[in-house]
Amino acid sequence: MSKSVTSVTEESAYGYGIPLFDTRVNLYQGGVLAVLLVSLVTVPVWAPPWAYLFALANIWAIFAASWDIISGHTNYISFGHSFISGAAAYTTALLTFNVNPDMAIYITFPLSVIVAVVAALVFALPSLRLSGPYFSLLTFVSVLVATKAVFIFSTYTNGEMGISTVSVLTFDTTMLFYYTLVPAVIITGALLYISRSNVGKVLKAIGQNEAAVEAAGLDTTRFKLWGFVYSAIPMGIGGALLAHFYGNVEPIAFLIVDRSIEIIAIAAVGGMGTILGPAGAAYLFLFLRDEVFKAFLGPNARWVAIWSVVLVLLVLSPQGVLKRLWTFLGNLGGDSS
Amino acid sequence: MVNPATILVTGAMVGSLYVLIAIGFSLIYGVRGVINLAHGAFIMLGAFAYLVAGGQVSGVAAFVIAILFVGLFAVGLYLGLVRYIEHNVVITFLATVVVALIIQQLLTLEYSLAPRSLEPIVSGGIAFAGTRVRYYQLIAFALSWVALGLLFLFVRRTTLGRNILATSMTEKGAKLAGTNVLYVNVATWFVAGAFAGFAGVFIGTLQSTSPTMWINPLGLAFIIVTIGGVGSIKGSIIAAYLIGFLETMTVTFVGPAWRGMFALLLLVVIILAKPEGLFGREFIE
Repeated sequence: MSKSVTSVTEESAYGYGIPLFDTRVNLYQGGVLAVLLVSLVTVPVWAPPWAYLFALANIWAIFAASWDIISGHTNYISFGHSFISGAAAYTTALLTFNVNPDMAIYITFPLSVIVAVVAALVFALPSLRLSGPYFSLLTFVSVLVATKAVFIFSTYTNGEMGISTVSVLTFDTTMLFYYTLVPAVIITGALLYISRSNVGKVLKAIGQNEAAVEAAGLDTTRFKLWGFVYSAIPMGIGGALLAHFYGNVEPIAFLIVDRSIEIIAIAAVGGMGTILGPAGAAYLFLFLRDEVFKAFLGPNARWVAIWSVVLVLLVLSPQGVLKRLWTFLGNLGGDSS
Repeated sequence: MVNPATILVTGAMVGSLYVLIAIGFSLIYGVRGVINLAHGAFIMLGAFAYLVAGGQVSGVAAFVIAILFVGLFAVGLYLGLVRYIEHNVVITFLATVVVALIIQQLLTLEYSLAPRSLEPIVSGGIAFAGTRVRYYQLIAFALSWVALGLLFLFVRRTTLGRNILATSMTEKGAKLAGTNVLYVNVATWFVAGAFAGFAGVFIGTLQSTSPTMWINPLGLAFIIVTIGGVGSIKGSIIAAYLIGFLETMTVTFVGPAWRGMFALLLLVVIILAKPEGLFGREFIE
């Protein structure tokens, strides 16, 4: 019985495109990856003015990779991930604002991550009975409600202005970059490991054909629930980091549905289900939006430009641009498959 | 003291608008299973088209222009984009929501984020059952039912309408019977867009017109269609009035800030108890 189970899931998982690292990495892929990693780690050295932008991109890489482990793998598209990270950020902010402004980060940080996991489970539990589209709609609406709640309870949340009692990590952008880079690298590595493990393969198989996974005797609900936990923990870490990054927690930067859509767009451009693709696309997206388009088009028109670029990429390359490049590099070697 | 008649009248007015919001979303979802997240943006375009046209022509003409404009825009979106990606549910989701964001940003560039109010088609109002009702609320209510009646006749009595109905039941069967699915889609998107434009004019007048106004109607459309059941026009109408009364009571008894909260609660209860909605067919992917 159990033997046939594994063979079914492994087959479905391997039949799915060419996910990063599921195959042997060839010389070209390894080379490009190494160059990119080294350039990322040395950003404050070769481009000090960009350190702040890339520090922010580190956090978005965490978000995109975390979204990917559940939604990118299972195809249950969550529009509610800004709710998870927002829950963590608001926990940090509410504790410092309403309880004790000097509360230590080693207390607020773990608490925030726990709240994020609880928040994720609150909307994961009804999802256990829903098929894909209903799930997406419910998560979308839950973000709207959470945003509304911030304004209803503005005595505690300070409404649109937000809470600015959160301590800023550091004002040295070089240090800020490394403070965010280390968690980003660790989280991406851990998620990549989960993605390649049996759990990741089952999650991908659910995305391919949930009925078949169920028929093979696996409890898909349990796997989806674990997927959510694996996603919510790093989302919580990222959300709390973002709170300490800005020092001010307000709905627009942390909660509104636009932020969720950005996470999804980044993951889709990078290549859903590949972890590294979404993480890498975060740097591309933020660099284009906050550096290139901002310089050429100004702070408002850049949004039109970035969303138009995303739309074109989605239509032309639904598999994801970075995933496509990776496959291209993989084929250069000749025999990698 | 709250007058029950007030709740009844206001609830009916709100419900008639919510029907208009949901019906287009329901049509597109029902016919081909395409979830159009640009639906809220259609509604917003209706309000802005009315705003722009209202400066040039009379209110009634501007209203007609807004409806036609959004209908044609919807057809353009289908032919130019959705047609090529509709087989991929995830990409359709993303692409349509990105279209909504692009429209939002373009409107922000042109009109800024500040909310504006639209000039009502007819001003003034009457006292009705102890409540003051504005004329354009009555017009919205009456026109909403007229439009629904026309939609019903269209679907039941015309060949194109019957083709739409047939395609929503079984696309393969409709194709075998000689239905041109492209025509069906174009007609569906036009009707959905026209209803959205209609809704936009009245929402823009009753609430406010701003580049972020697309999000709430989109959320409402989800809630109503899911509660009513996918593919059921009857279900959407009943759910829209249900939500209309619920929201009116929420605003009256709890406060305007809580608008939408109880609708969501109802949505969760319905999804858990009856995932196919009140009148829906089982959703098949």
